[in-house]
Amino acid sequence: MKSRAVKTCNTRLNTLLFAATIIFTMPALTAPDARQSTLFANNCAQCHTRAETGAPFIGVAEDWREAVARGEDAMLINVVQGIRGMPPLGYCSSCSEEDFRVLIRMLAGIPDDLLEGKGEQQ
Amino acid sequence: MKRRTFLQSTLAAGVSGALGTLAACGPSGEVPQSPVTYTPGQAMPWINWAGNHSCMPKWRTSPASEDELVAALKSAKGVVRAVGAGHSFSAVVPTDDTMISTDLLSGLVRHDPEKMQATLLAGTRIHDMGPLLHSVGQAIPNMPDMDYPALGGAVANSVHATGTSFGSMSSYVTGMKLATVSGELLECNAEKNTGIFQAARTSIGALGIASEITLQNLPSYNLTEVNRIEKFEDVFAEIEARCQAHRHFECYPIPYSSMCITVATDIAEPGDKTIGEDDPQAVNTLRTVFDAVSWVPVIGEGLYEKVLTAAMGDTADVIRTGPSYLVFPHMRVVRFREMEYTVPAESGPACMREILATIKQKNIPLSFPIEYRYVKADDIWLSMFEGQDGCSISIHQFGDLDYKAPFAEIEPIFWKYDGRPHWGKIHTLGEKQLAQVYPRHWQDFQEVRRELDPEGQLMNAHLKGLFGA
Repeated sequence: MKSRAVKTCNTRLNTLLFAATIIFTMPALTAPDARQSTLFANNCAQCHTRAETGAPFIGVAEDWREAVARGEDAMLINVVQGIRGMPPLGYCSSCSEEDFRVLIRMLAGIPDDLLEGKGEQQ
Repeated sequence: MKRRTFLQSTLAAGVSGALGTLAACGPSGEVPQSPVTYTPGQAMPWINWAGNHSCMPKWRTSPASEDELVAALKSAKGVVRAVGAGHSFSAVVPTDDTMISTDLLSGLVRHDPEKMQATLLAGTRIHDMGPLLHSVGQAIPNMPDMDYPALGGAVANSVHATGTSFGSMSSYVTGMKLATVSGELLECNAEKNTGIFQAARTSIGALGIASEITLQNLPSYNLTEVNRIEKFEDVFAEIEARCQAHRHFECYPIPYSSMCITVATDIAEPGDKTIGEDDPQAVNTLRTVFDAVSWVPVIGEGLYEKVLTAAMGDTADVIRTGPSYLVFPHMRVVRFREMEYTVPAESGPACMREILATIKQKNIPLSFPIEYRYVKADDIWLSMFEGQDGCSISIHQFGDLDYKAPFAEIEPIFWKYDGRPHWGKIHTLGEKQLAQVYPRHWQDFQEVRRELDPEGQLMNAHLKGLFGA
């Protein structure tokens, strides 16, 4: 069998490039490491980069305003327990609390110091 | 116009106008969909997609390579289970001991353009698999109607689509690498470790964890899918002809109505165009209509039929066309619980009719369309399609409504028709009944299972029930 390692695809690359653009244009955001980026691409990206799902779109502040107002802990609880169309854990069984916090901040485009511990669950 | 828009406008103009007092009888309010609560800073539970199973693993690991997977299995403590997307409705994943997540085992490993085969890491999600295969000019011959699961989970549970000439995902597997609890990495295919291969292609994760899976593909192809609202009796009067006329055909009878949604999919023709939009919220709208009128004594059912006919009877077809991996899957943004059995293909129509009649006679609260599909026979030991063409019938219930009582009313109908349960969906069968519906190879599978996992490390409570371990 012809050996050829093809570990990425255009779709995923585009998603990651878009995410990277979001990260580097926002101040004081913790950038996901390589592992977290893979978890994002395999899980979060399938809804949060597809407008037709109705999920808040990555980096679009207006989509995240209400959730952000409730605080990061409330968002974390919604991620783990699931809410409406979002499944528990956002499909990511590998994600730790730290992973989820980094990915929430990246998706919502919110600086690290704005969200910590703010608000209650919806 | 989307079906949802059509339904909503009809509901607003017709039902609410005629029955103004029904305004407060919409769908029930949102209720917690999680079986457990989580507090930040505390241990994190694992919960499946449907929210009907959870666990609290003491040890979690996410291997990023084959070596790490083997090491993780070798050092695993207690009951060890693998998880991909966690999309199964049955309790195949929960363990309070060791959970191994395959999220990071994702990607295309190699491909063979002559044989049209490709090897992927088993944690690759199906939504990534399509573009990866497309990038090397290949596509799997058939694919499920949702693309969230991981390849390894799809194969372990014989996930399938529809099409009388097409088998399940497992039937396209030509080889696998399987990591066992003893720390071995076994290659298996039609020539090597053949018994393990026949067991591993539908293993419910009872033999080990797949690291790589090789698929027999086709050159990339485009499809056109036509979604249509039709009369159930019209469709079932010619169901065999419909299945023969299309590469893929399925239908969704709507309980308490004479209608069904049909989905016919064929190789795309030049000039095919997408018309209309897929509406992932359509079932919620259907529920709104059902909730609004079903409580009305005596006339509720007839009213539902009238509203549905008015709303959907002349709805234009929705047509989707494009690369196969984009046409096969549909979005799932409404959570539900699902029971599915596969009955012999020739028993499909009778079984379907009996289910619809029973729902009506017993007034069972199921408004979610029922999925009706055909799958080609295979020779995989524990595949639902082993030795016989199958008709798979799936019963759904909304995620915030009780499913146990309605499913308990329907499940015995499947038994009457010698049904085999989908391994990843809800059912109540145990070892004794399962051995009866898999008379040819149940013991063969058990022997391989005991050989590869003699201590039963892979047996969680659910699998112990399945295998009598």
